[in-house]
Amino acid sequence: MRELINWLAEPIRSFPIFTFLFFMMMRYYKVVGTKKFGYWGLAISIPVVAWFCADPNFLAIILWPDNIPINIIIIMLTFLTWLSLYKCAENDKRIEAGECPIEALPENREKVWAWPNLVYTELFVIIATTIFLVVWAIIFKAPLEEPANVTWAPNPAKAPWYFLGLQEMLVYFDPWMAGVVLPGVIVVGLIAIPFIDTNPKGNGYYTFAERPLAITSFLFGWLVLWIYLIIVGTFLRGPNWTFYGPFEYWDFHKVVADYNVNLSEYVWIKILNVPMPKNLVLREIFGIIGTVAYLTVLPFLSLKTKIGKELYAKSGTIRYYIFVFLFIIMMSLPIKMVLRWLINLKYIVALPEWELNL
Amino acid sequence: MSKKQEPGMAFNMQKLNKIFAFLSVAFLITVVWMFLDDYMRPWKAVQLKGIKIKQEKVLKDIEAAEKEINTDSLAKFEMQLEASRKTVESRKKAIEAVEDEMNMIVKELKNETIVKGIANSQVSAVGFQYGVAHSHHYSNEKDLYKKLQGLKKDFAESSERMKILQAKEKSLKRKVLTFSKEVRDTERSIEGIIGKRELLLGAKKKLAMDPIFVLRNLPIIDFLDPTLKIRQVVLENITDDRYFRHVPKVDRCMTCHLFIDEKGYEKQENPYKTHPNLDLMVGAKGKHPMKKFGCTTCHGGEGHRVNDFNSAAHMPKDLAQQKDWEKKYNWHEPHKVPIVQFRRGQYEAGCVKCHSNVEYIPEATVLNQGRRNIRKFGCYGCHKIKGWEHNRKPGPSLEKIASKVSKEFFKNWVWSPKSFNKHAKMPQFFNQTNNNSPEFIRKNITEVNAIAEYVYNKSKPYKPFAKYTGGSSKRGKKLVKEVGCMACHGVKDFTVGSKKVDAFVGPYLSGIGTKVKNRENWLVSWLLKPSHYQKDTVMPSFRLSRREANDIATYLLSKKNKKFEELKFEPMSKTVRDELLVEYFSAFSPADVAKVKLSKMSDHERTMELGYRSVGKYGCYSCHNIEGFEGRAPIGPELTKLGSKPLTQFGFGHEKVSHSRDGWIKAHLLNPRRWDNGADKPFKDLLRMPQFDMTEKQASDITVALIGQVADKVPATGVKQLDKDEAVVAEGMKIVTKYNCIGCHQIDGAYGDILPLYDEDINQGPPRLVGQGHRVQADWLHHFLDNVTPIRFFDKEFAATPIRMPSFNFTNEERNKLVALFQHKSKQKTFEDNTKKVVWERGERRGALKLVESLACNSCHAGLAGSPSEPTAPNLKLAKRRLRPSWIKKWLKDPQAILEGTPMPSFWEDGESMDEDIFGGDPERQQNALVKYLLEIGVDSLSPNQK
Repeated sequence: MRELINWLAEPIRSFPIFTFLFFMMMRYYKVVGTKKFGYWGLAISIPVVAWFCADPNFLAIILWPDNIPINIIIIMLTFLTWLSLYKCAENDKRIEAGECPIEALPENREKVWAWPNLVYTELFVIIATTIFLVVWAIIFKAPLEEPANVTWAPNPAKAPWYFLGLQEMLVYFDPWMAGVVLPGVIVVGLIAIPFIDTNPKGNGYYTFAERPLAITSFLFGWLVLWIYLIIVGTFLRGPNWTFYGPFEYWDFHKVVADYNVNLSEYVWIKILNVPMPKNLVLREIFGIIGTVAYLTVLPFLSLKTKIGKELYAKSGTIRYYIFVFLFIIMMSLPIKMVLRWLINLKYIVALPEWELNL
Repeated sequence: MSKKQEPGMAFNMQKLNKIFAFLSVAFLITVVWMFLDDYMRPWKAVQLKGIKIKQEKVLKDIEAAEKEINTDSLAKFEMQLEASRKTVESRKKAIEAVEDEMNMIVKELKNETIVKGIANSQVSAVGFQYGVAHSHHYSNEKDLYKKLQGLKKDFAESSERMKILQAKEKSLKRKVLTFSKEVRDTERSIEGIIGKRELLLGAKKKLAMDPIFVLRNLPIIDFLDPTLKIRQVVLENITDDRYFRHVPKVDRCMTCHLFIDEKGYEKQENPYKTHPNLDLMVGAKGKHPMKKFGCTTCHGGEGHRVNDFNSAAHMPKDLAQQKDWEKKYNWHEPHKVPIVQFRRGQYEAGCVKCHSNVEYIPEATVLNQGRRNIRKFGCYGCHKIKGWEHNRKPGPSLEKIASKVSKEFFKNWVWSPKSFNKHAKMPQFFNQTNNNSPEFIRKNITEVNAIAEYVYNKSKPYKPFAKYTGGSSKRGKKLVKEVGCMACHGVKDFTVGSKKVDAFVGPYLSGIGTKVKNRENWLVSWLLKPSHYQKDTVMPSFRLSRREANDIATYLLSKKNKKFEELKFEPMSKTVRDELLVEYFSAFSPADVAKVKLSKMSDHERTMELGYRSVGKYGCYSCHNIEGFEGRAPIGPELTKLGSKPLTQFGFGHEKVSHSRDGWIKAHLLNPRRWDNGADKPFKDLLRMPQFDMTEKQASDITVALIGQVADKVPATGVKQLDKDEAVVAEGMKIVTKYNCIGCHQIDGAYGDILPLYDEDINQGPPRLVGQGHRVQADWLHHFLDNVTPIRFFDKEFAATPIRMPSFNFTNEERNKLVALFQHKSKQKTFEDNTKKVVWERGERRGALKLVESLACNSCHAGLAGSPSEPTAPNLKLAKRRLRPSWIKKWLKDPQAILEGTPMPSFWEDGESMDEDIFGGDPERQQNALVKYLLEIGVDSLSPNQK
């Protein structure tokens, strides 16, 4: 069983599983978003987690002081995601039945004083958080390491936990892409959300049915492409950034077979069986064409779909193209991951001479 | 939501207040918890217990001190005190009068101080004003000058008055003291008796756990002046490498090891124990005081961390202690610590980083054993270790090997040296755990054949100069035992003795008849003059006669290893040879090209090529001189910084070995090929470090020497700097270890491996060299080392085959270094004034002659009238140029003090002369006269053979 889980946990398998589960969750959110489901989930996950913790290797990783916040994150995220789905489901049922959302009930629309209602409760939160942080600091001492040595980097060298998703992206992308371009696009995209998403539905109340695309695409980026990568980077990457299953001992000398090939090498050498052209652009022409096509043709193609047409009609030309552009950039990550796993693809466009690798 | 709350309120205020109350209490508890967590440190408990231990000790000391007090005399003095107090009381009036007078003087003095101070400041100020006025020719210049003179006068007068007052005060003080003299004297006597107890009582008071103690150590208040506190030393001269900079080392070990530098806690449990060797370490008066050298400098580990037992990176000495610590201290493997502490028994590893450039370190027993074993097994041959570069290759030269052993023997020997001689120093390369599959054995056999062909092909011709004529094996055996061979060679026939000496510089002598079969002339030549065969050999000539050499040769040749002799080494398979060559050639070129390359070579060339590559592959050239490999770097990785190599860089393979540096090194030494277990490697990638068949003890001693090889850079001010003399001595010791002088000679009480063979009469063994540089003159020793002549003779029975100082093939530079070694060790000047004429005092010479007669010097010593024909003591006529006069006098005074057990009698025991008649029995004059006499009769030659 442990071997099976170790095997399943490898990104090549766990990423599709996770993605599948995510879409199942979105598809059947009304089932997921019930108290019954919540209780059952809790009832099942407690013994499962306990069984996981019985393994010393798993426990060692979980209790590593650096990883405590990530444990907390996972618990909080699971609960909060369920909570929002629960509220969405409740409201959507009411909306279907022709009622107003719970938030719109008269008793919930009543206005109250900021003092003491808001300020007092905020004080509670401040005190409770302080208590929590102090107790945490007492129980789990700050993990002191050896003095930094320029000639001897710790192995594995891990980024702060909130950056581990980015670090995991480095496995699939050139540092320039994973470290600069993609994070930049993420930031720009997040800033752009209020300007792109002008759908007034869902303001002040939970609903999924009225804005399925916005919620799904956001949660996909957040849960699957960010949180999932953090989990992998934290718990499943050991020395030499090699993958280790949750029950695997971090043996320093573990070796993994991994040999990656560029797209241009595939095309010229493997398929066409001719020498690679000297001209750099010509050499990478297939990748360049593919990338340009991906970025330019797809937005127009998307207009042919039903969803595309609807969205275009709703949001207008500029908003529509910005949204699609951001969306396909986001999707480039899973696409690249899948390509890596399927054909050991290193770079679609490999121009190390220009420091441009895609 | 219930609707209990008032309008405008989302919550029930009562409920919110309750939550607030609950949170406030929880917050308070957390804060208290935080303070307690910060306050309660494990080391505080340790210190508290330490205080209790100290209290107990002080109580015991007080008891002991009280026992020492002589109560009778104390009572007497107390009565006396009473009486003298009364006497003083009677002078009360006089005392009071003097005291009154004194008070007045003190008052006036105070007044005068003020007056003088004011005058002084005014003189300075007006002096400055006048100076300005003078240089600028102001009109008030003259007025100021006048004013200044007046002030100066005032000041001088005040000074004068003050001096008078001070003198008065002094005399009055003295007067007061004389009045109370009796009381003070008695008090001083009483203090002499009970002073120690009083001091101890004071100490006890300081240790008391009273309310003040509690107050000083209360939480928060304890930042002011706590008694329980972290103790530390900061070492400016020794730094910790923090990679971006070096910071002074901070050791806080004494926070828990409270009494490490105090005597009297030897029997306490750790951490309260006294350091076991205070004179050498830690003790304030020792060689390495704690204030200067700290703890982790030698012990390793994290000296500045005191959180708990684990943070200092303590390491258990064995599994039992580990189990114990796990239970007691929750011990776990230290992580994220670059250098963990050395385990018990390995502490001496800490010496290495500061004490470089010396062969052996005084008092470092384990480490010296490790270094001796590194020398014995020749680790430095294949592995570069800084500080070992000057050593010669551990194996013999193979440049003329063909004339010494047969090719067949050579191959069998290379294949398995231990099966010829289980004490062989040559390690085993073949038939090991990682290369004993039939395929690998076949390849190895081919390689050994090729190596033999290569080495024999390169071997230069050698013609022995002497002929073997046969002799007496019995006499030969006796010679081997007695002439001194065993200082460097173990001998199979003398197993017990060999074990005692544990010689390793030369090969263990067994089966020589098999080894040099059909090369008898070589053996005789070698015995007569080793340097004839090999110029740079360290084997000396014992100045054997032809007969003696033949006797020894006969004896050695009679020792055979029949089983080994019958071994036939499998001949080379040409197909395997070609296969191996193709593998070599195809490292950088395709197999076809390699095959073409091979096909262009002749049969001989192929064998030579494989031989050459195999010698390179196994690193034979690292230990042996082989033509074609001059100047090639040794084969093994450098070990200079092995002790700092990150643990993750040690390949533990799949072996179940303790994951620590010392665990790896020891396991590696015991079986170097173990890391290949479970690794499916091709032939060319197999591990090649050979098997030395070490004992566990040898392996762990070497481990200690190696884990001390750390990369830490200790600042020049912190490491042991050899002074001018020590540097010369260290240089000389390199020659001493090269030629193994210490195999025979003890130098100032150390070394002398062969001496245990002379338990019964140590004087029959090689001379022990004590203060040798003071004893002999530099030019004599320099001459002697190149022209060895017997100095003393032994009794008749022994004289046939006495142990003898052999003639080494020293270069002049080496002889100079040896002479300088002794000279600087004894801190002597180079030359004595040998041309000075002896000047006698009146009657002194007559006295000297009488003394020589009455002490019967001629009964043992040669060179005097009436000396025996077989004298047992050195020729006194040669003393003049051999011995230093100051040493002769020291020797005469007390020979036993210099050389315990010497047959030379002490004539002036306890400073009493045996002959009271001469010079009135004044030992000093008698000894001086004898020294002068020896100088007078001395001949001006460095040896009896010199004209």
